[in-house]
Amino acid sequence: MELTALTIRNFRNLAALDVEWPERGAVIIGDNGQGKTNLLEAIYYLVLFRSFRGVKDRELVRFAEAGFFVAGSAGHRVTAGYEVHGARKKVTVDGAPVGKLGDAVGRLLAVSFSPADRVLVAGGPAERRRYLDVLLALSDRRYLDALTALRAALRQRNAALRRGLAEAAWAFDEPLAHAAAAVAAGRLAWVERHAARFGELCAALGEADEPGVAYHLHRGGAVDAATVAAGLAGARERDLRRGMTTIGPHRDELRLSLAGHETRWVGSAGQQRTAALALRLLEAESLARIHGTNPIALFDDAFAELDARRQERLLSLIGETLPGQAIITAPRDAEVPAALFDRPRWQMQGGRLAA
Amino acid sequence: MSVIEELTAELAKLPGIGRKTATRLTYHLLKQPAATVTRLAETIRAVGERVHPCTVCGNLSEVEPCPICADPRRDGSVVCVVEEASDIGPIERTGAYRGLYHVLGGRLSPLDGVGPDDLRVDALRSRLGNGSHVREVILATNPSMEGEVTATFVRGVLAATGVRVTRIALGLPMGGELEYADGVTIARALAARREMGEG
Repeated sequence: MELTALTIRNFRNLAALDVEWPERGAVIIGDNGQGKTNLLEAIYYLVLFRSFRGVKDRELVRFAEAGFFVAGSAGHRVTAGYEVHGARKKVTVDGAPVGKLGDAVGRLLAVSFSPADRVLVAGGPAERRRYLDVLLALSDRRYLDALTALRAALRQRNAALRRGLAEAAWAFDEPLAHAAAAVAAGRLAWVERHAARFGELCAALGEADEPGVAYHLHRGGAVDAATVAAGLAGARERDLRRGMTTIGPHRDELRLSLAGHETRWVGSAGQQRTAALALRLLEAESLARIHGTNPIALFDDAFAELDARRQERLLSLIGETLPGQAIITAPRDAEVPAALFDRPRWQMQGGRLAA
Repeated sequence: MSVIEELTAELAKLPGIGRKTATRLTYHLLKQPAATVTRLAETIRAVGERVHPCTVCGNLSEVEPCPICADPRRDGSVVCVVEEASDIGPIERTGAYRGLYHVLGGRLSPLDGVGPDDLRVDALRSRLGNGSHVREVILATNPSMEGEVTATFVRGVLAATGVRVTRIALGLPMGGELEYADGVTIARALAARREMGEG
């Protein structure tokens, strides 16, 4: 997949950008604070219609402006506009407004690599659940629908529990159990299918310490609705006491390990970076297989913290899994591997791009 | 605040009406003959003063009980349960239903502060009590998650009464095309398929 044109209006510090993208992408050099990450965030906004940094739409609007607009062409033309007044979001695909965001999610595909990805490995379980949720939502519409239903049911049930409305809370058990089972089943199947490849990718990046990945169902969790429903029924008293739902995939864990111990706790900074890179490469491979096209690769200063040996290994893996378009940002030329300079080099300053 | 601004602000509070539409409506009204504007104002006042929920079914009406409850030609053995009084109109316009109604006054949504006690479920149960002619209750809450949950909840409450409880069917819209239907609707339509009779 190739991004050919991008239009940005009032997105963070980017007032107005109209970019024609070369087939191979570009290397963008600029000091910190000039808008490099904002540019990548704007592109990725067209994938999920939310920020990859997890901030609210309102906070993406340039200071004192009424809203932002982003449009990109990559086969399909996808646009997203947001107005602060009324918090209105409008998304179109090929000129037609979409009724549900789910109908537009994944029309444009990208994978983002950033040093901040280390939190995927070093951070709490929620980070890794989100990794799976984004990947699977982009891969399977039924997963996205189940995830949406799960969140809605959890919000309602938890609101009832907090208010001590027991009967109202139990009324949401059935839709919750169905959605929970579908989400857990989707995650478990993906992890089982890709666990071996994760190990291979880690090894190819130089990890020698028996890397592994497994999906752990939290107590009472299951991949069939009847078992989840029974679990929910058994946990009622506890849920009511705690004012929250204690059974379900929102408690499950994607556990990364080194020789059987959690990478989150035992991995060195370098090992955690390696595992994070492997997760991103796996994401790219998985999306490419399902969609039959390579996602656009976004590298946000992604090579800075890697030693020369690991850089070289990563480059060779990128050559295999992400041979297409790449947009690479860095503060200095020296922090971009020489092999990636087979594409135009642009400068970014104060939210503007120059050749 | 001028009276023009006051009217615009009042109109802008209505659902589906933003600031711009409210302004347009205000200036439209200012151009109308005084009698037209007075009639509108009187009608709004009358609606507020004269319309009340029917004590039997919860439908909004000027008379007590409402014309549907009072109509002897209606089939008193069937009660159709809806979320809001505004849901009755669409069902009535089909002409396909001759039974009575029961308005719950909302749907279970703890997030919006609506729990079981906020719905007219007890009133429904008493309608089915001793001496009742009701043989069937049709649950016609919306096909949303909250609507489904509300239907399940009401079914649970009515279980002890022994009255037959049914749920309106979900499926493909008439005149629609399979190609454009969403996955959940198609899956529901398949699950609720029926034997094709002859003729």
